[in-house]
Amino acid sequence: MAIKFGGEEKKWVGKALPRKEEDRLLRGRGRFADDIKLRDMAYLRFVRSPYAHARIISIDTSAAEALAGVVCTLTGKEIVPQTQPFIEIGPDSKVRDYPFAVSKVRYQGEPVAAVVAESASIADDAAELVRVEYEALEPVMDAEQALQDNSILHEEAGTNKIWHGVFEYGDVEKDFQDAAFVVRIDRLHFHRFSSTPLENNVVIGEWNLKDDRIYYSCNNSFPSFAIQFLSAHLNVHIDRIRVQTSDIGGSFGIKITNYPQMAVVALASKKAGGRPVKWVETRSEHMTSSAHGNERTFRDTRVALDKNGLITAITSRHIDDCGAYPRYEPLGCVIWSQVFPGVYRFKNARIDFTQTVTNKCPVGPNRGYSRMQHLWFLERVIDICAHELGIPADEMRMRNYIRPEEFPYTTPNGCVYDSGNYPGMLELAKQLIGWDAWKKKQAEAQKQGRLIGIGIGTTLDSGTNNFGQSQIVNPGAPFSGNSQGANCKLDIYGEVVVAVGSCPQGQGHETTAAQVVADVLNISPDLITVRTGFDTERNVHTGFSGTYASQFAVSGLSAVHGAAQKLKTEMKRLAAFVLESEEDDVEFGVGAQGPELRAKRTGKSINYWGLANIVNVNSAVLPVEMYDITLNCRYIWRAPFKVPDKQRKYGNLTLTYASQLHIAVIEVDRETFIPTILDYVAVDDCGTVINPPIVEGQVYGATAHGIGAALLENCAYDAVGNMLTSTFSDYTPITALNMPKIKYGHIQTPSPHSYSGAKGMGEGGAAPIHTISAALQDALFPNGIIIEDSFNNADSLFRALVGKEICQAERLVKLERRAS
Amino acid sequence: MPENIEKISVKLNVNGKTYVRNLEPRLLLVEFLREELDLTGTHVGCDTTYCGACTVLMNGAAVKSCTVFAVQADGAEILTVEGLEKDGQLHPIQKAFGDSYGLQCGYCTPGLLISTYELLSHNKQPSDKQIRKAIAGNTCRCTGYQNIFKAIQLAAQNRTRT
Amino acid sequence: MLAQIGDEAKLLAGGQSLIPLMKLHFANPGHLVDLNFIPEISYIKEEDGALGFGALARHAEIENSATAAKLPIIHDCAAGIADVQVRNRGTIGGSIAEADPSGDWATVLLTQAAEVRCLSPKGERAVSLNQFITDAYTTVLAHDELVSEITVKIPPKGTGAAYLAFKRAAPVYPTASAAVSVAMEGDVCKEADIALGCVGLIAIKATAAEAALRGQRLTDKSIAAAAEAARAAADPQSDMRGSAGYKRALVVALVKRVIEIAARRARGEQVEVSHIYA
Repeated sequence: MAIKFGGEEKKWVGKALPRKEEDRLLRGRGRFADDIKLRDMAYLRFVRSPYAHARIISIDTSAAEALAGVVCTLTGKEIVPQTQPFIEIGPDSKVRDYPFAVSKVRYQGEPVAAVVAESASIADDAAELVRVEYEALEPVMDAEQALQDNSILHEEAGTNKIWHGVFEYGDVEKDFQDAAFVVRIDRLHFHRFSSTPLENNVVIGEWNLKDDRIYYSCNNSFPSFAIQFLSAHLNVHIDRIRVQTSDIGGSFGIKITNYPQMAVVALASKKAGGRPVKWVETRSEHMTSSAHGNERTFRDTRVALDKNGLITAITSRHIDDCGAYPRYEPLGCVIWSQVFPGVYRFKNARIDFTQTVTNKCPVGPNRGYSRMQHLWFLERVIDICAHELGIPADEMRMRNYIRPEEFPYTTPNGCVYDSGNYPGMLELAKQLIGWDAWKKKQAEAQKQGRLIGIGIGTTLDSGTNNFGQSQIVNPGAPFSGNSQGANCKLDIYGEVVVAVGSCPQGQGHETTAAQVVADVLNISPDLITVRTGFDTERNVHTGFSGTYASQFAVSGLSAVHGAAQKLKTEMKRLAAFVLESEEDDVEFGVGAQGPELRAKRTGKSINYWGLANIVNVNSAVLPVEMYDITLNCRYIWRAPFKVPDKQRKYGNLTLTYASQLHIAVIEVDRETFIPTILDYVAVDDCGTVINPPIVEGQVYGATAHGIGAALLENCAYDAVGNMLTSTFSDYTPITALNMPKIKYGHIQTPSPHSYSGAKGMGEGGAAPIHTISAALQDALFPNGIIIEDSFNNADSLFRALVGKEICQAERLVKLERRAS
Repeated sequence: MPENIEKISVKLNVNGKTYVRNLEPRLLLVEFLREELDLTGTHVGCDTTYCGACTVLMNGAAVKSCTVFAVQADGAEILTVEGLEKDGQLHPIQKAFGDSYGLQCGYCTPGLLISTYELLSHNKQPSDKQIRKAIAGNTCRCTGYQNIFKAIQLAAQNRTRT
Repeated sequence: MLAQIGDEAKLLAGGQSLIPLMKLHFANPGHLVDLNFIPEISYIKEEDGALGFGALARHAEIENSATAAKLPIIHDCAAGIADVQVRNRGTIGGSIAEADPSGDWATVLLTQAAEVRCLSPKGERAVSLNQFITDAYTTVLAHDELVSEITVKIPPKGTGAAYLAFKRAAPVYPTASAAVSVAMEGDVCKEADIALGCVGLIAIKATAAEAALRGQRLTDKSIAAAAEAARAAADPQSDMRGSAGYKRALVVALVKRVIEIAARRARGEQVEVSHIYA
């Protein structure tokens, strides 16, 4: 049940408090997984497939094993008898997913064997000595081709198709009959990229043969998900698996699916006699075989519009490419529908959604997961339709936006947008960028033949998932709802200690959690210790615990708030007894003896040490009816969800909807074709803001990820499955020299669905990708160009403008004007 | 093979302390700092000398310690992030980064602090363009660089004030 | 020492190219001979009308050198290589000896009267730069020979030269680059040297482009003709930096711009150049 926020002064929530994390991180005293060294630790290195698709004929590890300093090797064949294939989320999935390729490899970089040695360099040397013989098979590198099933990746499944479903709402065909305009868009494509956290995956695992427990120190960012998969895979009770994370160097969803490597490390440790084994991923391994974002193609899109340019219906076929193994998929097949109509009011639509495997790196829930692809699609539709109908892009959006007075707004598929003000954000963004002045400049520049475009991208960051949407993709999936745990206690000497089931990667959870508790207890955040990272032993996690999907401000902080409230209630009860007063006479504050509780009437007080002392080491003071007071309060917050209607694919799928609206001005140089951002505005709405600079920082970070994805970052493969961007030097993650100056603005439409009015934020909905596509589109409409891909650089713009190989409007878009 | 490789004796100064060690020639400076000296503040983020998470100061110049062999640092003075603070007090550059929210996950931060240190040691009032050029070899995935620019400007201001 | 170890040995200067190759196991030398401890081979001097760079002169030292600044194109090159950290280690001698197809120094020095001094147990010899690099990663150096100095003749007044590249980001090689030197006599271009970088196995001297300028006034027409000739001379591969077709188009744009800057410098104007970044 959502807790109402009241009866507390908001002294700390909403303040720009310096982060608690800063001290250790600035001093270089962060504890990242590779900083951890254990006694007797050995080092693991993977042997990986150079082929995208091949049968494994033989693996010879003898030369590697003969090298001095090698402890053992491990292959797929060996682990199959010891394990179950990983749980598949998809319905009746016949895919058999092991952490090594067993009989065949399905993507370049797939692990085939592992070597464990006394040092990392010996493991490196030994890995080179493993001889693998392959028989190459025909690789499948295109999703639409994959669906023809000419070359099948998973023989047991008999098809490359992972999932198919139709999402249909309203009366689509009637709408097309009645439409004043129909716009047809042949093809749009959202490219494959990754947020590539700066710290790669690291796993230290120890299968302790004495107590038969597995101990992990790692940087997985969704540990509760990982242990469910690992437990089933390794045939080990979940309680026997301990997972600890400490400082994590970014994840952005990419470190959610490193549980296969966690499995290998545990099995390697077991084979090595229980020695701890460390695996440190290299950047090249990360680029080829950690996780990529979903790639999606949009075909045969039809849009029905009325005479005023209001979109009334959309039909489209969406084909999602999830790489070689589904893993977190096919959840992505329904996650996008959290934002089914985007920020627009259309009620009728039919989306035919198919997901397929291909011989590429398996995907993971990359920042903006599955929604950014769909939101990009809708923004392209809006801009293309606006242009076809001769309506300016901003005006088109204003006509089609969901109105502020319509919130909470129920979408065609039953999701409830909690709050928002898209017209207000557009006005603010236009003001910040100087819309009218830029429009003038653009007109003058276009007279000189310069290619300048101004683009708008509106996007949503839906936060706090209802995992019941998994039942839409798989009616048999035993998952629904969402929850997070927290613990708030007075330790034996009265210190306030908070633990949460999250595993932050830079989002400032220690700080914001302290702000929340400080407000509850009316003390300062300095007096509150928040435990770093995640640890199963702390027992505050639920099956959903981790840090993903833009939810900490809602799920994590609601759990912290709930735990703090429970603690406060106990403290008040105990203090009332000790101070011989009524409970409502007791107030919380800081006095001469530190944080304390005081009876207003008598002025008597007891400090936190005093309370903790009674409960912990002096309990004969307590009357029997107060034995239930522990001052150690665990609280599980649950999101108020229901299981969705699986047949109709209808129901509320996310609790909060933050929104972003960006505007970019871009010039494409007519001679070099290099796109340059001349001006950029980012407006954000995440409801009540807990710590303004933390929010602003993440908006900047998400903006950088989006600009990088739009102009620099593309996970590219050649026709035979070689990954072409396997190093940072090929992939070129965005640098300081590439970043424009970002003007930042924000509004706050509090969410009625969270105790504080905050909405989860952080993913940022990939707004820059939509915005830059829009700006490039605006610049190049006059040249007969349609921006059909989410990735654009000088090379692709050259091929579009000069070579006319791609992005040609006459091939991609058709307008039909109906009579009347 | 490892037993056959002749180790080389090196003597170097790291954060004011002198170390004498016998090292394998192929050991990278970053590996030496992290594994031998347990100075784990310097990080590894890539394998093609792109990201700069490993940046340290070598004889006053910022270098990517993943692209220097440890034995090449024989006789050198090295400064890592751990050497910035004095008697538990943060260096003004560290403070400026904290005050400007110039970090989130903290993984790129040590390298950036050193690059900033070099910049400000020879440029008291760097322009926006000079700041971007100075950190062009330091990749950050969290902050979007905006607050890092602010942090470096603040650090420069604070330096000129003292 | 090189003579003793033979083929298994590689010379280590800045290490900013070699060490990354070794980390990825693309280069596996059995021995490294570290030149960094040899004193006094990192000088930058002006002598007998030429600039002399010791082989171990770091890109950063050249970037910040007032002596080297006498030739602005030298500064364009040094200041634009990679990033600060790499410039602090990388050396001009190492770069030339490595002969990476995308190396900036080779491209720039092709437009200058540059010589590479090579040292071996047998003695010293000077090789003209345009004969020094013969193929990708291949020079005329014998296995027991190393680069000791690079000299660049200071051109006469009325000459101007510039270097411009398009790079996706600082730490990576350019997508394409162009170096141009023009010797002007009034309005007329007496001499032109044009080199194209990153669009062939080695830097390309665009002789037809040079001919299009030689003896001509620098007009939009003559510059465009030179740029088109440069396009034809380029021989790029399609890769992650761009398609071959795009790189050719980029060459046209870069050559045009660099000719204009070089001409302005020839007239005595101070023009600051920095690379274009994505």
